[in-house]
Amino acid sequence: MNQRSRFSPISTLAGLLGATLLGLLTVPLIALILSASTEEVLAGLGHPMFLPALLLSLKTTLVSLGLIIVMGTPLAWWIASSQSRATKMISLLVELPIVIPPAVLGVALLQTFGRQGILGPVLGNLGLAIPFTTEAVVIAQIVVSSPFFVQAAASSFRKVDPDTLIVARTLGSSSVASFFRVALPLSMPGLVTGASLAWARALGEFGATLLFAGNMPAETQTMPLAIFSALESDVQLAVVFSLVLVAAGAALLAGLQLLPFVTTAIKRTLP
Amino acid sequence: MQSIILRAIPLVSTFIASLLAASCIQEQGGDGAKTSLVIYAASSLTETFRSIENAFEEANPEMDVSMTFAGSQVLRFQIEQGAQVDIFASANQDHTEALISGGHMSGSQFFASNELVVIVPTANPADIQHFRDLEKASLIVTGSNNVPVGIYTLQVLERARQHLGEDFVTAVQAQTVSLENNVRLVRAKVEMGEADAAIVYRTEASSHKLKVVAIPEKLNAQVRYPIGVLTRSAHTPQAVQFINYVLSADGRQILHSHGFLVSE
Repeated sequence: MNQRSRFSPISTLAGLLGATLLGLLTVPLIALILSASTEEVLAGLGHPMFLPALLLSLKTTLVSLGLIIVMGTPLAWWIASSQSRATKMISLLVELPIVIPPAVLGVALLQTFGRQGILGPVLGNLGLAIPFTTEAVVIAQIVVSSPFFVQAAASSFRKVDPDTLIVARTLGSSSVASFFRVALPLSMPGLVTGASLAWARALGEFGATLLFAGNMPAETQTMPLAIFSALESDVQLAVVFSLVLVAAGAALLAGLQLLPFVTTAIKRTLP
Repeated sequence: MQSIILRAIPLVSTFIASLLAASCIQEQGGDGAKTSLVIYAASSLTETFRSIENAFEEANPEMDVSMTFAGSQVLRFQIEQGAQVDIFASANQDHTEALISGGHMSGSQFFASNELVVIVPTANPADIQHFRDLEKASLIVTGSNNVPVGIYTLQVLERARQHLGEDFVTAVQAQTVSLENNVRLVRAKVEMGEADAAIVYRTEASSHKLKVVAIPEKLNAQVRYPIGVLTRSAHTPQAVQFINYVLSADGRQILHSHGFLVSE
């Protein structure tokens, strides 16, 4: 029985299809790794564009991720717990930035925060200029990546059994306490997945940043923009930068996935 | 091991032969056996080469020209990676020279020149009337020093250092808020009114949303566009015919109408 199911045509086809996608996702990455010699990697790491771009990328994406979690969690909870038609519309609105090309989002952000934008006169009176600043980088990252977090967080909040919350409330918890003590821990895996997705998307963000924040070393030139700049002069340099971005991404994503285990382990050691 | 390889040879050769046969059929097929020319051209040539393509195809109905536009460096990389291209027109001589030394091109010739200008939004918020007013602009956008337009901008600033002084250049560089990777991105920031001024090619400056401020000749950079046939082209005579069209009176007329400087 076992033998037969292993060789059934459907499972063979499924295996082939899965392996094709796996190959499509990994072979280009391997090609990228193979194309860079050690000398080229060292030269790339020593390039004056490299360190400021990497630090700026880490700084801006961590700030963005923090803001996304702080603002996205309440929004996701509200979307998940309300049944009204308006909420459904809003949850759709939240997902829209995913389908809009990032470069167009960049133009939209300029039309919002720019001198000629909707908020331009107000910001101008306050003496605030947002385009071409590091703040603009963060705003661009939040807009393109928060939908991934809100979506994942809302869908894991929806899976929390309302009865457990009611039980918590009858046992004397306030609604805020029952959220933090019951709903949040139960949804943690989904929240971590959402945060990882959003963080990865922010790290790779390019189009909206390019239009809204421009390309200035140490101020708005994040790793993807540095890669784009390098591509215009030296393709191998762009390859090395990309490898570092991939490595940083892999390390931080692995770290985020481990976070729940680490926190539970810490909690266990505490009395 | 060896026997596997030996047995594989007929299989592989049949496969290659069938591929070759298929490609020959494709060459001969198509509508009315038109000769296809693939042309890679720098982004700044986009509208101009589209016009030349239309005029050339009208004059030579047996030809079918297809164009790809991108930064010269990206196009050069794709050619080095084996892109099947007949003609390459670059915004910078370095890229054609690299292709020539790599054996991808046998030679090139200049077909047009360009120069740099300052562009400002029509409202001109920083009130820039002359090139030396550039230091009054608080938001300046230029090309990055990786791309031709940025390299030429640096040359202009270097000459300005001698003629207008160190302070002028320091002020301009301090007010530069973004170094863009292509000239279209530079122009977009001014068109949207978000930058006070930018430096672009003259050929990019024709827009009703822009005002042009000339850069004095003694400070300006000399931008020359080379064009050449790729050694891998299967249609060298037709490719030469296209280049001759670009250099002809008709071709020069089109280049001139798009703001390029051409020899009389």
